[in-house]
Amino acid sequence: MKKLEERIIKKIYKIETEKTIGQIISETVLIILITLSSMFIFSVIIEILNEQTSFDLFDFLRDDFETIRDNFFNNSLLFIRELPLPLIYILIGLLLLLIWLLFILAKNSSKIKNKLVSLYKFWLK
Amino acid sequence: MAELSDKDTIIRIRNGEINNYSYIVRKYTTSIYRFIERKLFKKEDVDDLVQNVFISFYKAIEKFDEKKPIKPYLFQIVQNELKMYFRSYKKDQPLDERIISEVKQEDFKIEDFKSLNNLEREVFKHISEGYSYEEIGKLFKKPLNTIKSIVRRGRLKLKKIYEKT
Repeated sequence: MKKLEERIIKKIYKIETEKTIGQIISETVLIILITLSSMFIFSVIIEILNEQTSFDLFDFLRDDFETIRDNFFNNSLLFIRELPLPLIYILIGLLLLLIWLLFILAKNSSKIKNKLVSLYKFWLK
Repeated sequence: MAELSDKDTIIRIRNGEINNYSYIVRKYTTSIYRFIERKLFKKEDVDDLVQNVFISFYKAIEKFDEKKPIKPYLFQIVQNELKMYFRSYKKDQPLDERIISEVKQEDFKIEDFKSLNNLEREVFKHISEGYSYEEIGKLFKKPLNTIKSIVRRGRLKLKKIYEKT
C-alpha cells in the first residue's frame, strides 16, 4: 500500500509540475508578447503623428497662459481627430489585456509561490 | 504536526500547498483499494484504478465544495472509474470471442446465433461492445422498452436452443 501511495503522490507531483511550468511559461510569453506588441503599436502611432506633424498642434504650449487657455480645447480636439483611431483601439485593448493578466498574476502569486516551494521540496530534497 | 481536517487540507491544496494532498492519499487509499479490489476480476488493474481515482479528485479539487465530506465524493469517482473500466473491458472482448467462450462453457454452437434475426444479432453485438440499452435505443432509433424486449426475445431463443441440446 505504501508503494501505491508513493506512486500516486509522484504522479500528482508530475501532473502539477507540468501544469505549473506550462502556466508560468505561457503567462510570461503572453505578457512579453503583449508588451512588445503594445510598444510596437505605440511607436507606429508616434511615427504616424510625426509624419502628420500633429505634434505641432501643441506648439502653443510654449506661449503665454492666455494663448494656452484659448487654444487648448480646440487644438486638443484637432489632435484627437488626427489620431489613427484603429491603432489606438488596438493599443487600448492590448493594454487592458496586459493589466488583466498582471492582475491575475498578482492575485495568484502566493498560490504559484506555494506550489513552487512544494515542487522544489519534492523533487530536489 | 497536528492532523488537519479534510476541509483545511482542501483549502491548503487550493492555495498551492500541494504537499498536503499526501494526507488525503494516505487517509483514503486503503478503503478505496479494498473496495475496488472486491469488484475487479484482474487484480493487477486495481492499482491503476486507485491511481486514476486520486488523479481525478486532484483535478476536480478546485470545483470541490470543501464543506462537503471527501469520502462520498471519492466513492462517486470510484463508481465512474469502475463504469469506464467495465465498459472498456467489454470492448476488449469482441463478439466472436464471447460467442466462442459461451460455446465452450454452455455448449452453444455458433449456428445457434444464426437463429436470431438481424436486429437481435446487431443488438447483442452492441451490448457485447459495451453500449448501454439507452445508447442502443438511440442508435437504432427505437424506444428503450423495445430494445429490452428484443434482448429478452433473443435470450429466450438461445435458451430454448440450449435446452433442446
